[in-house]
Amino acid sequence: MARPILMKRLQRATVELVVAIAIAIVLFPFAWVLVTSLKPPHLVAEPAVWTFTPSFANWRDVLVRSDVPLNIVNSLIVSLSTVGLALLFGCPAAYSFSRFRTAVSARFAILAAEMMPPAILILPLFLIFYRLGLIDSKIGVVIAHLTFVVPVVTWFLIGFFDEVPRELEEQAMIDGYTQFQAFYKVVLPTIRPGIAAAGIFGFVLSWNDLFYALILTGGESRTLPVAIAGFWTFRGVDMGKMAVAILVAVVPILIISFFVQKHLIRGLGGGAVKY
Amino acid sequence: MIGAELKALRKSFGGSEVLKGIDLKIEPRQFTVLLGPSGCGKSTTLRLIAGLETASAGEIWIGNRNVSGLEPRERDVAMVFQNYALYPNMTVAQNIGFGLKARKLPKAEIDARVAEAARMLGITELLGRKPKQLSGGQQQRVAIGRAIVRKPNLFLFDEPLSNLDTKLRIDMRTELLRLHRELNATTIYVTHDQEEAMTMADRIIVMDDGRIAQIGPPEEIYHRPQNLMVAGFIGSPSMNFFQGTAAEAGVETPLGTVRVAPPLRVGTAVTLGVRPDDLYFPDSLDEAQTASTLDVTVEIVELLGARGIVTMRTHDRRIKGVFDERFLSRFEEGATLTLALAKDRLHLFNSESGERLA
Repeated sequence: MARPILMKRLQRATVELVVAIAIAIVLFPFAWVLVTSLKPPHLVAEPAVWTFTPSFANWRDVLVRSDVPLNIVNSLIVSLSTVGLALLFGCPAAYSFSRFRTAVSARFAILAAEMMPPAILILPLFLIFYRLGLIDSKIGVVIAHLTFVVPVVTWFLIGFFDEVPRELEEQAMIDGYTQFQAFYKVVLPTIRPGIAAAGIFGFVLSWNDLFYALILTGGESRTLPVAIAGFWTFRGVDMGKMAVAILVAVVPILIISFFVQKHLIRGLGGGAVKY
Repeated sequence: MIGAELKALRKSFGGSEVLKGIDLKIEPRQFTVLLGPSGCGKSTTLRLIAGLETASAGEIWIGNRNVSGLEPRERDVAMVFQNYALYPNMTVAQNIGFGLKARKLPKAEIDARVAEAARMLGITELLGRKPKQLSGGQQQRVAIGRAIVRKPNLFLFDEPLSNLDTKLRIDMRTELLRLHRELNATTIYVTHDQEEAMTMADRIIVMDDGRIAQIGPPEEIYHRPQNLMVAGFIGSPSMNFFQGTAAEAGVETPLGTVRVAPPLRVGTAVTLGVRPDDLYFPDSLDEAQTASTLDVTVEIVELLGARGIVTMRTHDRRIKGVFDERFLSRFEEGATLTLALAKDRLHLFNSESGERLA
C-alpha cells in the first residue's frame, strides 16, 4: 500500500518541480528588467550584481526628462484608434461569417491575412503613405495596424457570435425590428464580454507592434516600442532606461489581460472549435 | 381576431423539398396544433407564417392581407420559441416591453401593458430580474408574456413546452389553455407530442413528409384516422395492425376471418387497425358486436397506475393492449387467454394507398 502512495507523491513532486521551473523561466526576464531599472547608473552594465541600494534615477529620467510620455500618448492614440476601427469593421464582418453560411471557406481566408509576413505589405504601404504625406503620422500607423488587427478581431468574434442562438435575432425581428437593429440592439449587447476581450487583444497587438511603427514613424509620431528600441544607440544600450520603458509598456497589458483571460481563451479557441 | 390561410405553400432547402404544397385555413380564435414526427415540416410551416423563412412558392394570408413578401416585423405575429429566446442582457420587464418599444409606444403605456401581462402570468415579482436568474418555467412565462403584451394578430408557438419537465409541462399546458380562453386569440401551436395536441387543440393538423395527412378536431383524429400514417402516429401505445385480404365473409387475416361491418371489394389488400384500448374480453361483447376473437399469450405487464399496458403474443407477432387495473390480475405473465375485437372499433385501411376504407 505504501508504494503506490509514495509513487503518487513522487509524481506530484516532479510535476510541481517542472511547473516551478517553467514559471521561473517566464518570470526571470521580468525580474531582471525590474532589478535593472532600479540599479544606479554605474551598476547597470553589471548583470551579476543583485545587491545594491535601489535608485529611481532611471525612472525619473525616462518618465520626466525624455520623450517617453509623449510616446506613451502616441501609442495610446494609435492603439485605441486601431481597436475602435477594428471593432467597427470586425463586428459586422464576424456576424456575417457566423450567420451567412455561404461564406464558410472565406471564414478561413481571414487567417490568410495573418500568415503573411508584414514585410510584404510594408513597401506598398510606405510608398502609398509617402505619396499621401502620411509618413511620420499616426494615421499611417493605424492603417498599417488595421491590416493585422481587423482579421484577428474578426476571427476572435466569430466564435462569440456562433454561440448566440439565432432565435434571439429572430425574436427581435418578430418583435418589430429589422435584422440590422436585431444585430446591434440584441446580439451585440449579448456578446459584450467577447467584444471587450477582442478589443483588448487587438489593443495588445497594436500596442506591441514595432515593425510597422519603426518604419512608418519618425519623430513626433513615435510609439512606445520604437522608443524602447531607441535606447539602443550607436553609443551602446542604455539598459536602465530601456528597462523602465519596457516595464511601462508591459505591465498595464499584463494587468488588463489577467482580468479578461477567460474571454481571451474563449475567443482564441471559439472560432476554431466549431469547425 | 383574424385567421390565416396558406395557399399551395412550398419550401425547398437546397435540393430537398421540405413542404410539398400546403393548403390550409386557420380559423379565427381557434387553437390550431400542427402535429407530426420530426422533419415533417411543421416548424418550417410556422417559420414561413412568421416570415423567418421565405416560401419557394405559394402564398400566406393573415386576415385579408397577403403577407408572403413581408418582413416578420410587418406581419404582426408573436412567436414563442422552444428555447424561449429571452434577451439575456435585459430584465424581464425590458424583455416583455421590447416589442412595444419597437412600436414607439409611450413609456407609460409600455409599463402598464407589461404590468398587466406580468399580472396575468403571475410573474410581477420577477420583473426586475435577468433571464438567467429564472427557472425554466419562469422563463417560459416571460416568453409568453412577451407574446401576449403585443396583442398580435396571430400567436405562434414552436414546441414551447419541450424543454420543461413533465410536471411543469402539464401545468403550463393548462396555463396556456387558460390564457387562450381569456385572450381568445388565433393560435398556431407546433408540437411533436400528441398528448399536448390532443389536450390543447380545437383542431389538429397532422403533417407527414411535407404534406398534410389529416385535419380535424382531436376526437376525429383519434377515432377516425384518415390514413395509416395518422393511425400509427396518434395514440400511445400505438395502434395494432394486421394485414389481410377482403373476402365475402370479412377480412382474411392470420388471426382468421375478421367480420367487418361495411362491404369491401373482394381481393383488396386491407390493413386492419385495432387500438390497444379496443381489446375486450369475449364475455363483455355480444355475438353481433364481435368481429373476431384471438388467442394471446401474455408476455409483459406494465402498470401505469389505474391502467396497465399488456404486451401479448398472437400468431407470431406482438400486440399491445391497455386494460383497466381491475382486469390486470387476469394477465399473468405466460398465461394464455382469449380476447375479442369489436366490429365498431376496427379501423380498415387500403394497404396500398394507406387510405381509410371504413
